[in-house]
Amino acid sequence: MKTKNYLILGLFMLFIVMLLMQSCYSVRLRSVEGTYEPAAPLVRNDYYRNMEVIEIDTVITLGAIDKDFTYLIKKSDRCPSGKLHTVEYRNTLGAVLLSGITFGRKRKVKIKYVCMKSN
Amino acid sequence: MARTTKLSLNEWDTLHNNGPWKLKTLYKTKLEASSLMPSDIDRYNDAAQEIQRLLTETKNKNEGFRAYGSAWSMSNIAHQKDRMHFNAHMNTYFSFKDQDLHALSRYAAENLFLFQCGNIIKEISEKLEGHGKSLKTTGASNGQTIAGCISTGVHGSAVNVGSLQDYVVGLNLIIGPNPGDIVYLERHTKPALNDVFAQKLRSRVIRNDGLFNAALVGLGSFGFIHGVVIEAQNLFLLKRYVKKIKKETALELAEKLNFKSFKGIPEEVNSSGETNTPYHYKVFINQYREDKDKDYVVEFMYKKPFKLNYPDPFPVIKKSIYRDLVNVAVEIGSRVPSTIPLFINALKKSILPKVDETSMGTLAETFWDAPYQGPAFAISFGVDHTDSKEALKILSKVSIDEGPMPGIFAMRFIKKSDATLSFARFPTTCMIEIDGVLWNEKKKLGTLKDLSRKMIEALQLHGIAFTLHWGKNADWNFPGLVDHMYGQDAVNWRKYRCALLSEDMQKLFLNDFLKETMLSKKETVLDPDLIKSLL
Repeated sequence: MKTKNYLILGLFMLFIVMLLMQSCYSVRLRSVEGTYEPAAPLVRNDYYRNMEVIEIDTVITLGAIDKDFTYLIKKSDRCPSGKLHTVEYRNTLGAVLLSGITFGRKRKVKIKYVCMKSN
Repeated sequence: MARTTKLSLNEWDTLHNNGPWKLKTLYKTKLEASSLMPSDIDRYNDAAQEIQRLLTETKNKNEGFRAYGSAWSMSNIAHQKDRMHFNAHMNTYFSFKDQDLHALSRYAAENLFLFQCGNIIKEISEKLEGHGKSLKTTGASNGQTIAGCISTGVHGSAVNVGSLQDYVVGLNLIIGPNPGDIVYLERHTKPALNDVFAQKLRSRVIRNDGLFNAALVGLGSFGFIHGVVIEAQNLFLLKRYVKKIKKETALELAEKLNFKSFKGIPEEVNSSGETNTPYHYKVFINQYREDKDKDYVVEFMYKKPFKLNYPDPFPVIKKSIYRDLVNVAVEIGSRVPSTIPLFINALKKSILPKVDETSMGTLAETFWDAPYQGPAFAISFGVDHTDSKEALKILSKVSIDEGPMPGIFAMRFIKKSDATLSFARFPTTCMIEIDGVLWNEKKKLGTLKDLSRKMIEALQLHGIAFTLHWGKNADWNFPGLVDHMYGQDAVNWRKYRCALLSEDMQKLFLNDFLKETMLSKKETVLDPDLIKSLL
């Protein structure tokens, strides 16, 4: 009986772990229009190999009266147009937990973005 | 001033990981901000001055220099071991009015556009769309720069149109660091722009068919291609069908290119009972299933007048695995663990996925973005379309007997080009391509170069005339290869190059690819008027 209980508990824990793992995912948005800012030299070996991709991996803190947060995309050397071509955001278990235990005041931001090529 | 970033590197690679090769210096030039230099002509000329400065710097160090754009070529054609220039940020463009045309020009001003070298096909399509225009054809893809496309002969499968270089009507080249080293080339039999415009580009004008045709597919060796004048056309739509048809029917269409009696697409049968001639025809072949499969997957596209409010093509285009050949191979490979033997087994067991797709879109939408799919190879032979069935049989056999290797075949068709070194040499050239996933050559599978060599030998043995795509993989060291393919045209190409470029600049724009193909060989130019302007 004791063994059976452990087995059920183990299976339940496995189910929970699998469920939590599903909370890690990424979603990519890509404009049908426009050309991406090209990269040179080509150093990556992923989806972004030929793109000048910018990665943000940070935690933002919202003030007590802030309802939301806007991350501004500005013109820079790697984003000369200041306009977006592709955005990929990633959600992780850690990010969900961080937001949960801080009542939404601290938010993990893990984003990759590529700008439009400037004319 | 245009700004150039100079990076010290150890190596350089292509998009599809076909290198790496050694490199010392990478230049990246960006145009001056339009807020500081509002005139596009000024920004263009300013960039030309910057390129001349880089050429001086390179020459003073007695080193070599080659430009590249998107690094899509799989051969080492773009590579130079000393200095390479990334030009994709040089992307301004000009449209024209009647007063810019040459007095003898037969072109409509509204169809002519000058694109700076680094314009990528997709951005060209967008810029043209703003004028209600379209490119006539692309490489059935949209990521290459215009200069890279024309200098390597990029083609689609537009049966009656040709390759990208075939609608180029003017070339603005920087052939050295000195004043007078910027030239604007046109055909003397088909002038386009007048000398006043060329002077705005601070260029010396040479109108000479022979020189123009040689420089057109110049393999990056006729100087720095700064600008390309193209003839565009009104926007049009392409209705695309992807289907399986009987193998014999697909091959007969390839051999005869007579589509009138083909009834496989009832929607394209006209009122007189004949089928329309497609704009684009492509055949996909899994050579490992040649004895078992009765059908081939084929892609037809028919040109339609442009209209607004046509159905959204993206739901079909985005999901279609038959957008390019590498995509099909990778799709089949993705069903098995990522080892090459299992990949090949999958090809042997898999019939090409069943398909019945229809979509409608502009040229730019139909050949939309192709994502990077990992290390890939491609070998592409051009043969007369009447030899296509026989050549396919020979090349398929070599790929199986000497492989097996992780790739599959396709056939595309292009009209003859006037460019001296175009691989579209036959009245209609059938490009038989084998694309696939790069493998570890240290294992038992043999090398890509060996495979290419055996394919060349097999075609020679059977007496089938052929060419090879300059931007794709091949045994470019194969003895006498270029002379075998091009004969006197190879000699003429070298003569024009030697006549146009000074000795210093011939050396500066040299690379290993040119040496391997023996196109670097010096030719004695006896005719003092060889590159004289004839108009």
